[in-house]
Amino acid sequence: MIPATLLTNALLVGAVLFCLGLVGILTRRNLIVMFLSAELMLQGVSVTLVAWSRYHGDWGGQVLVVFVLTVAACEAAVALVFVLQAFARTGRLDASAWQALREENLPRVIDHGLPADDRVVPTWPHLSPAGVLPEGDDSRSLERDHV
Amino acid sequence: MDPVAATTLPIPGLLLAGSVAALAASLWLLLPKTSDTANSRRLGLFLGAVGLVGFAATGRSLGCVGEDAVFLTVAGIAVISGLATIVTRSPVYSAIWFAMALAGVSGVLLVLGAQFLGVATIVVYAGAILVMFLFVLMLAQPSGMAPYDRVSNEPMLAAAAGAVLLGLLTLSIGRLSAAEPPSCCRMPSRAQAMAAAAGPTAGTASEDDGSATLIAPVTAGVESVDADEVAHLGAELFGRHLFAVEVAGVLLLVALVGSIAVVSRGEATETDHRRESR
Amino acid sequence: MQSSAANLLVLVPLLPLLPLLGAVCTVLLGRRLGPRAHIPAVAGIGAAAVVALLLLLGTATQVGAGHGDPPRPEPVEIISTLWQWATVGDARSGDLPATEAGVPIAPGTAVSGGTFSIPIALRLDPLTATLLMVITGVGLLVAIYSIGYMHDDPGYPRFFALVAIFVFSMSMLVAASNFLLVYVFWEAVGACSYLLIGFWYTKPEAARAAKKAFLVNRVGDFGLAIAVFLLWMTYGTLNFHDTRLADGTFVEGILGQTRIADEAGYVGGAVGTAICLLMLLAACGKSAQMPLHVWLPDAMEGPTPASALIHAATMVTAGIYLITRSAPLFMGCPGALTMVSIVGATTALVAALIATVQNDLKRVLAYSTISQLGYMFVALGTGTMLGFTAAIFHLVTHAFFKALLFLGAGSVMHAMGGVIDMRRFGGLRHVMPITAATFLIGACALAGVPPFAGFFSKDEVLASLHAKAHPDAHGSDHGEAGRQPPETGIDAGGVADRGVRSFRPASMTSRSSTLASRSTGTTDHAATTEKIGLDALDHPSTWRLLFWMSLLTAGLTAFYTFRAVFMTFTGPVRIPKEAGHHAHESPPVMTNPLLVLAALSALSGVVLFFTDALAHFLAATPSLNAPAVLATAVAHAFHPDIAIQGTLAAAIGIAVAAIGHLGRRSDSPQMERYLGPLGALFANKFYFDPIYAALIVKPLEALAMVTAFFDRAIVDGTVDAIGQVPLAWGSAIRRMQSGLVQRYALAGVVGVLAIVLALAWQLRP
Repeated sequence: MIPATLLTNALLVGAVLFCLGLVGILTRRNLIVMFLSAELMLQGVSVTLVAWSRYHGDWGGQVLVVFVLTVAACEAAVALVFVLQAFARTGRLDASAWQALREENLPRVIDHGLPADDRVVPTWPHLSPAGVLPEGDDSRSLERDHV
Repeated sequence: MDPVAATTLPIPGLLLAGSVAALAASLWLLLPKTSDTANSRRLGLFLGAVGLVGFAATGRSLGCVGEDAVFLTVAGIAVISGLATIVTRSPVYSAIWFAMALAGVSGVLLVLGAQFLGVATIVVYAGAILVMFLFVLMLAQPSGMAPYDRVSNEPMLAAAAGAVLLGLLTLSIGRLSAAEPPSCCRMPSRAQAMAAAAGPTAGTASEDDGSATLIAPVTAGVESVDADEVAHLGAELFGRHLFAVEVAGVLLLVALVGSIAVVSRGEATETDHRRESR
Repeated sequence: MQSSAANLLVLVPLLPLLPLLGAVCTVLLGRRLGPRAHIPAVAGIGAAAVVALLLLLGTATQVGAGHGDPPRPEPVEIISTLWQWATVGDARSGDLPATEAGVPIAPGTAVSGGTFSIPIALRLDPLTATLLMVITGVGLLVAIYSIGYMHDDPGYPRFFALVAIFVFSMSMLVAASNFLLVYVFWEAVGACSYLLIGFWYTKPEAARAAKKAFLVNRVGDFGLAIAVFLLWMTYGTLNFHDTRLADGTFVEGILGQTRIADEAGYVGGAVGTAICLLMLLAACGKSAQMPLHVWLPDAMEGPTPASALIHAATMVTAGIYLITRSAPLFMGCPGALTMVSIVGATTALVAALIATVQNDLKRVLAYSTISQLGYMFVALGTGTMLGFTAAIFHLVTHAFFKALLFLGAGSVMHAMGGVIDMRRFGGLRHVMPITAATFLIGACALAGVPPFAGFFSKDEVLASLHAKAHPDAHGSDHGEAGRQPPETGIDAGGVADRGVRSFRPASMTSRSSTLASRSTGTTDHAATTEKIGLDALDHPSTWRLLFWMSLLTAGLTAFYTFRAVFMTFTGPVRIPKEAGHHAHESPPVMTNPLLVLAALSALSGVVLFFTDALAHFLAATPSLNAPAVLATAVAHAFHPDIAIQGTLAAAIGIAVAAIGHLGRRSDSPQMERYLGPLGALFANKFYFDPIYAALIVKPLEALAMVTAFFDRAIVDGTVDAIGQVPLAWGSAIRRMQSGLVQRYALAGVVGVLAIVLALAWQLRP
C-alpha cells in the first residue's frame, strides 16, 4: 500500500494531466493533436485510478486501467479511420472544417489573418558540386527541409 | 516539498488562487494564436512554471529526500511534457512530447507500485497507439505545420476553464487528507474501524500528521511495494474479471473488423464524394 | 266578456311571434326556397295581420259607450305577462320607508323591498290595437309588393327576413308594457332600419346612409336611456301597468290606472320636464324631427318597399306613439308640450320648403314624411284630447297614403330602370295608368283635398291648434282649467324644484298639501297665472303662430306634391334609356297593394271621421284618461271655418303647381329660379348637413384617427414588441450553434464547472 502523501501527490499529478488534456482538446484544431490530448486525459485518469487502487489495496482500480488501455487502443484505431475519412473529404485535418450543422442563417466561421509562418527557413550550406551529378529524377519530393 | 501549513484550511487560498491564475495566463499565452511573439511565449513559459510550482506546493513530502526527488522527477517529466504536448504547434512535435509524457506517466505508475501497468503504458501507448498517430500524420500532413495548427479555438475561455477545474480538483484533493470526515457521513471513519478491528497494528511509517481521520488501508501490515504484483494482478484479472477480459478481447476484434469495414466502404464512396465539406 | 278577454290574452303574444317565426324560417330555409323565399315571411305577416284584426275587433267590443258629457268610455286595458325577465333584489335607491301591503305607493318612492324586476309583459288597449293593425296591415301590403319589386335581387330572402323581423320588433314596441322593453325594441327597429337602408351594402352611398341613420338615431336613443333612468329613480318601477309583488306589495305602474287617476300621481318641475324633454329628443331621433331629421332623406338609398314600410308608415311613428303613451307624464309639464309643438311645426315648415325644390321623387316624399310627422307632433303638443286623437288619426291616414305614394314611386322607379330623377321622365300616365291613378289619389290625400283621408286628419290637427290659439272660442273653460298642472307644484315650485332631488313621501305630501290650497286659488285667476321658464311658451300667441305656420305648410305640401305629380305623370311622354324594355305597367303583384292602399286613402278618412269611431275608440286608452286630458275633451264637431282655410291653402298650392308644371316637359325650367338665393338655401337643405359635418363629424373623425393611431402604434406596437422579444432572444441564442464541435464541448465544460462551483460554494464548510 502506498502512504497517503504519495496518494495525494499522485492524485495531483493525475489532475494536472487531466486538465491539460482538457484544455488541449478544447483548443487545438488539428484532429491528431486533439486525439493526443484525449489520450493525455486518459493517462491522468489512469494515474488516479492506480493511485487509489494502490492506496486501498483494491485491485479493481488497476484492472480498470487495463481495460482503459484496451479500450483506448480500439478507440484509437477506429478514430483514426474516421480521421482519415475526414481528411479524404476535406483534404486537411482541421476540426473547424466541419461546420455543416450550424444554424441556417449563420455564416461559416473563416480564419482571418493567420499568423505568418515563423519557421525559419534553414539555409543549407552550398557545396560546390564535386564529381558528376547522378542521373535520375530531380524531384525533391524525397527531400524534406523541415518537419 | 514544503509541508502543508495548518489543518483548518487544507491549502492556503491565496496559493491556490495564485496558481490557478498563473496557469490560466500561461496556457493562454502559450496556446497557438495569431498574436504570438517570442516574448509572449517566454512569458507564458515563465508563468506556467510559476503556476505548476504553486500547484506542486500543495502536495506533500513523502518522507525522505530520495523518494521526493524520484517522484518529482517523473511527475515533472509527465506534467511538463503534457503541457508541451498541447501547446506545440507542429503536430509531430506534439506526438513526440506525448511520448515523453507517457514516459513520465509510466514512471509515476512504477513509483506507485503498479509495475505491469507502468510497462504496459509504454508498450501499448507509446509502442502502438503513438506510432499509429505518427503514421496518420505522415499520410495526411507530410508538410508539417498547417495554417490551422497556428490558431486555437477560444484559448482564453478554455485556459480559464482548465485552470479553474484544476483548482477545484486540487482543493478537493487537499481537503481529502486534511479535512474531517464530512458531517453527513454517519459511518465511523475507516481508520477508526480498522484501528478498532486490527488493534494496535499501525499503518505505514510515513504518515505525516497522524490525524485519526485518515483513511486507513484495508489490510494492515502490507508492504508498500509488492514483489509479485504482476502475478497478483494477473490472478485478479483472470480470476474475478475473466469475463470482462474475454469481452475486451472481443472488443478488440470488433474494432479491427469495424475499422476495415469503414475503410472499405469509404473507399467505394470516395470517388463520388471527393469534395470540400460545406 | 270574460272568455273573450281570455282569448285576447292568448292572441296578444301570438301576434309578434308569427312574423318572428316567419323570419326564422326565412333565415333557415331562404336559400333553399329560392324564388319562393317570400312565403314564410309573407305568411307570418299575413297571419299577424289577421290576429291584429281580431285583436282590434275584440278590443272594440270591450269599449263601451261611455258616460259623461261628452261621452267618454271607460279605459280598456289587457295585460299579458309572459315571464319575469330580469330581477335584481335589494335594488334600493336611498332611504325608504316600509309600506303596507295594499296601500298605493306615493310617487317619488322607490319600491319597498327594492326589487328591480322587468317582466316581459304585453298590453292590449285601443292605442296599441290601432297601431298593431296599421303596422301589420301596411306591412303585409308592402311585403306582397316586394315580391314583385325585389324579384331579381340576389338578396331576396334577406329582404323578407328583415321585413319580418322589423314587423316583429315594431309590434313588440307598441305592445310592450314596460319602458325597458320599449327601449329594447326601440333599438331593435333602429337596427332593422340600418340593415334595410344598407341593404345593398356594396354601394358606398347606401352604407354611408345606413351608418348616418344609425348614428343620428343613437343620439335620440341616448335621450330615451336617460329618461328611463330618471323614470326608475322617480317612480320606482318601469312598468306601465299596476303590479302586485310576490309579497303582496302593490306597485303602481307609471301609466297604470291607479296613478293616472291620482291627482298627485306625477312629478313635475325640473325632473318631470327633464323626462319629457328627453323623450322628445328620442322621438325627434326616431321620427326625424329637427335637429335629428338629417338621416331620413339619405335613407332613400334603401329599397323602396323598405322606405315605404319603415320610413313612411311605421318606424317613424314610434316617436308619436311614445309621446302619446306618455301623455300623463307630459300633461304635468306644459312647457315640454309646447316644445313638442314648436319642434313639430318648425320641422314641418322647413321640410316643406326643402321639398319644393327637390328633383328626386323619393326625396320629395321623404321630406314630405318629415313634414307630416311634424304635423303629428304639433297636434300632440296641444295636450288636448282632440290633439292626441288628431295625431293618431293623422298617423293612420298618413300610413296609408304615404305608403301608397312610396310604392307608386317604386313602381315608377322599377319601370324607369332605376331612374328616379323627375327631370328625366315625364307623361307616364300613358305608360302606367294604374300607378298614375293611385298615385294621384295618394297625392290628393296628402295635399288635403276633400273628401280624401288626409283632408279630415289635417283638419283635425288644425282644429286642435286653433282651439289652443283661441281658448275662449271653443267652450274651453274645460280647456284652460284642464291645462292647469296637477298640484305637485309646477308654478312657483317649478323654480324651487330644479335643484331638489329628494323624493321622500313625507315632503311630497306636505308640499302637495300646501300647494293644493295655492292652486285652488290660482284656478280662479286662470288668466292671470304667472308661468315661468319653459312654461311661459304656453301662451295663446304662440299657438296662433303655430297655426299659421301649419296652414302655410299645408299650402306648400299641396304645391310640392302636385308638382311631383305633374312632372312625373303629365306632359309629353319621356322615357330614359335605362328603362329599356321595362317601361310598362307593373305586374299585378305590385299594383294590387297600390289599389288597396288607394281605397283606404280615399275612404278611411270619411268613414273614421263621420262615425267618430277612432276618437271614441282611442278615448278608452288608459294614457288618454288622465284627468288633465279628459278635462279638455270636447264634443265631436266639424269645423267649417278651419276646413275652408285648409282647403283654400291646398287649392292655392295646387294651382301654383299647375301653372308651373302641368302639361310641361319635366325638364323645362322650373319655378325655383324665381326664388333666387332662397332656392339655393332650400336646395342645400338649410345647410344642416355641412354644419353637422363641421361641428360633429369632423371632430369625431379626428378623434377616431387619434385613437386609431394609438391603437395601431401603441397597443399593437406593444404587443408586437412583446412578440419580438422571444424572436430576439432566439436569434441571440441561435448563434451559439455554430457547427464547431469544440465550441460545443467548451460550452459543456464551462457549464459543468459552473454547476460544480455553485455546489462547492453551497457545501463549503
